[in-house]
Amino acid sequence: MRLSQLTVRQFRNLASLDLEIPEPGVVIIGENGQGKTNFLEAIYYLVLFRSLRGAKDRELVRFGEPGFFVAAVAGAHRVTAGYETATRRKKVTLDGSEMSKLSEAVGTILAVPFSPADVSLVGGGPSARRRYLDVVLSVSEPPYLGRLTELKTALKQRNAALRRGRPEEARAFDGPFARAAEYVTATRRRWVERWHERFRELCRALGEPSAAGLRYRTGEGTDGTEGTDDADAWCRRLGARMERDLRQGVTTVGPHRDDLRLSLAGRDLRIYGSAGQQRTAAIALRVIEAETLAATRGAAPIALYDDVFAELDENRQARLLELIREALPGQAIVAAPRDSEVPAALFDRPRWQVAGGRLDR
Amino acid sequence: MSAIDDVAAELARLPGIGKKTATRLTYFLLKQPRSALERLAEAITALGTRVAACSVCGNWSDADPCGICADARRDAGLVCVVEEASDIAAIERSGEYRGVYHVLGGHVSPLDGIGPEDLRIDPLRARVANGGAVREVILATNASLEGEVTATYVRGVLEPHGVKVSRIALGLPVGGDLEYADGLTIARALAARREMGS
Ligand SMILES: [Zn+2]
Repeated sequence: MRLSQLTVRQFRNLASLDLEIPEPGVVIIGENGQGKTNFLEAIYYLVLFRSLRGAKDRELVRFGEPGFFVAAVAGAHRVTAGYETATRRKKVTLDGSEMSKLSEAVGTILAVPFSPADVSLVGGGPSARRRYLDVVLSVSEPPYLGRLTELKTALKQRNAALRRGRPEEARAFDGPFARAAEYVTATRRRWVERWHERFRELCRALGEPSAAGLRYRTGEGTDGTEGTDDADAWCRRLGARMERDLRQGVTTVGPHRDDLRLSLAGRDLRIYGSAGQQRTAAIALRVIEAETLAATRGAAPIALYDDVFAELDENRQARLLELIREALPGQAIVAAPRDSEVPAALFDRPRWQVAGGRLDR
Repeated sequence: MSAIDDVAAELARLPGIGKKTATRLTYFLLKQPRSALERLAEAITALGTRVAACSVCGNWSDADPCGICADARRDAGLVCVVEEASDIAAIERSGEYRGVYHVLGGHVSPLDGIGPEDLRIDPLRARVANGGAVREVILATNASLEGEVTATYVRGVLEPHGVKVSRIALGLPVGGDLEYADGLTIARALAARREMGS
């Protein structure tokens, strides 16, 4: 996959950019806060039509402006996304036609972001890992995003009914919740099944001698029934927890409480992993993300490296470069504060400077 | 505020009309003859004074019962349940439906503070329970998650009365709002309705 043109208007601190992106990609050099991360975020916005850092759309609008706009040409397709703060309206087009459902345009542009903040995928709470899984599956398996949205709608409605103290009303949403939950958990489990061996291989290839593990873990309230995640099982669990749910005013069982358990030699990486081990596991997850997209979408994604090499020792850096040569052979956008922090292997592409939201070629 | 501002502000409250359009419409009205403005004003006033909900089906009408409920040529044994009165107009456009209607007045949505008791479900139950004249109830709520939940709930309420309950076949456009579907699509969705199991 290759991006050939990029247009950005009023996105974060980027005022106005109209760029031809060279075939191998570019190296973007700029001090922190000048706009290099925003540049990567603008590109990634066209993958999922959401901020890669989980920011709200209105927070992406440049200060004092009415909205933002991002557009790119990738292969034969042109994708655009615009947002207007006043109307809170988001408009996404694919090849000139407006998409009534965003999910129809998701996956047209494929990219994988690498960032030092990825370490929170491993060291942070379960929500970061669920988000990772949901993003990977939304981009790689078209029905997933729609079913996930149903699950979230049913959950919000059910929780509202619980807060109103109306069990009858809450129960009315059990059916749709359980049916979406069945699909979402089955798809997540299938992905873990497919990639857990690869996770171990990648951690080893990145210099981690002990065996790394990747498992799907269901939240509380599923004791003794793990692995049976059909709609009936979810309905029974919801029923069994109704009294507690009413007291707490939230649905306490469901895929929104599940987690990915990452381990090294059987010990939870989140709790016992060193900073270096957590970083290694996070990189392995990003490489798997790239491989998942390539396997399901049939094209190598664009790599977005946000200053990820400086913090790796030489040994790990060399191993990572080896891996990404295979997993991410396509275009690469490499951002770093200084030339010296870009590995030689990625330096052989045009270099642009970013300062104050402007790019200098 | 000037009269121009007043009208523009009122128009801007209408769905789908922004400030810009409201201002443009206001200036358009200014250029109309006075008689046209009076006709418009009277027509709008009549909405408030002459139109009321039909006591049988809940449709908006000048008469009670409404024209559809009073029409002896329509099949009173077939009741199509919709979320909003505006859905009736959409189904009527299809020209295929010969039964009568029942307007729920929305869908179940706890997030908006709307529970089943806030909808016209009990009047529907009463219609069905009353004398057994109703053979079939067609649930034509929207294809959204809330529309499905509402349909399932209504089916549960009607079940003890032994009436046949079917669901419109909604492969309808995005969001599944009847209002936005064309006549042919609605005619097909009605024809392909399926009995709802429990
Ligand atoms: Zn009527």
